[in-house]
Amino acid sequence: MDFQTFMLGLGETIGMTVISTFLAYIVGLPLGVLLNITSKTGIKPNRYINISLGILVNILRSIPCLLLIIILIPLNSSIFGRATGRWFTMIIPLFFASFAYVARVVEQSLSEVDYGEVEAAKSMGASSFQIIVKVMLRESVPSLILGGAVTMVTLLGYTSFAFDFGAGGLISQAYSVYRSNPVNYLQKKEIWIILVLIVVVVQVIQEIGLVSAKKIDKRKKLK
Amino acid sequence: MPIIEIKGLSKSFDGRKVLDNISLNVEKGDIYGVLGLSGAGKSTLVRCINGLEKVDEGEIYYKGELLTSPTTIIKRDKQRKIAMIFQQFNLLQQRNVLGNVEFALEISKIKDKKVRRQKALEALKRVGLEDKIYSYPSQLSGGQQQRVAIARALVLEPEVLLSDEATSALDPETTSSILSLLQELNRELRLTIIMISHQIDAIEQICTKVAIIDSSKIVEQGEMNDVFLSPKSKVTKGLIYTNHVNTALDSDKFIRLLFDGNVDEPLIANIVQDCSILVSIVYASTKVIDNKVYGQTVIKRPTQEKEAQKLIKYLQMHKIKFEEVNK
Repeated sequence: MDFQTFMLGLGETIGMTVISTFLAYIVGLPLGVLLNITSKTGIKPNRYINISLGILVNILRSIPCLLLIIILIPLNSSIFGRATGRWFTMIIPLFFASFAYVARVVEQSLSEVDYGEVEAAKSMGASSFQIIVKVMLRESVPSLILGGAVTMVTLLGYTSFAFDFGAGGLISQAYSVYRSNPVNYLQKKEIWIILVLIVVVVQVIQEIGLVSAKKIDKRKKLK
Repeated sequence: MPIIEIKGLSKSFDGRKVLDNISLNVEKGDIYGVLGLSGAGKSTLVRCINGLEKVDEGEIYYKGELLTSPTTIIKRDKQRKIAMIFQQFNLLQQRNVLGNVEFALEISKIKDKKVRRQKALEALKRVGLEDKIYSYPSQLSGGQQQRVAIARALVLEPEVLLSDEATSALDPETTSSILSLLQELNRELRLTIIMISHQIDAIEQICTKVAIIDSSKIVEQGEMNDVFLSPKSKVTKGLIYTNHVNTALDSDKFIRLLFDGNVDEPLIANIVQDCSILVSIVYASTKVIDNKVYGQTVIKRPTQEKEAQKLIKYLQMHKIKFEEVNK
């Protein structure tokens, strides 16, 4: 395999990961906010909404990703005209596999915000929307970024299922190396290049998350 | 017309009554202290005034207008006229000092950025933090953080400031400076302050009126000097002076001498001289309320009844306020 093939695989893997993470946040973020504010200690407690959303999220989270991909084949074909075979066909299954997870991650981040800050805003006559945006979300940005990085790494792992459907990516490439050399594939340098590339990508995502979260967090004592 | 009028307010949590039929009038310009032991319900009281808690029974009026009742929810513009500061300051950790003060203005929909900045700077100047506007809360001391919180409260030009144990997390020196700031704001802006505290020293330092809350009820209320110099209820007495008197002297009887405004006479020396009784002082203190000096001295009641009667007669003759105290 040449350099270009690796880069193509890398691009596909990153494409699947980034786009599905983005989509997962579009749905997962509001869902996480809703889970948080409707909880008993939230700013708009609502038992029914909280419980039904909780059940929905738990069900989605308990479906294995591969099973979800299979179930979503019809939906995928109706959107892309094809169910499998290209990298972007993974986006919708990955999105479904992850937005519920994102909702929990966001809910967790928001619950770390000091309730006193919420009360102070309430005492100034802030609306619920103002409290959500200006206090809860704004105050938890560092934690949300960390959660985003964790989500992205998880989704990167999920992209490995792409090989089942010929949807490309680095892991599919590793699989095809194995298929063409089942006996001595570990002696092929391609396997190791792919391994290194994946490790580097994961490290980069984690570092970006960690460093930027640290950088913008004003809670630490600055000197 | 009182600026805040509380009528028959009750509030329960999980069936436990924390406020029981509370009625209270706060006049404009008062620094009204609400004193009580922890868990007596005083925090819930201010939280009801500001709408952070719903009331179960009773009404709260603001300048004669219904503010809140079991069926009325406080209006946002009224909430802004009744600002609040907290024990833990509750500043936004991710915003700097200026941002924290501007936050209050953003919430009240003041759209013009320049106006927000200018008002915030004015408020910060008033609390003496103009050189810290770009610092973050984590870089400030507790006292400085409470000053930011006060600026944030002031920037909306409130008429009433609720202080919920605002000095309880601070050291004595900082407490004193925050209290002086509150007093200054009260005098210069005619800001009415309702101050919740379990620290009698804090209440003593600046309040003009006081209510004592014990197990969800108001047991005593009135002008500061009346309540503090002649406490009637057991709790108030306990809060005010018996904790100063050595508990080892349990079985003894005491006489409490009160001086209001006049401490020029060397009273104790006169007693010793004129009655030839040796008195032993167990507790003495002075307080400055409204620029007048008030003092009290608790002395041991002479054990010989003859001497005791002589002393009491002497006190009556010289029109000295006193009371006999049995612990």
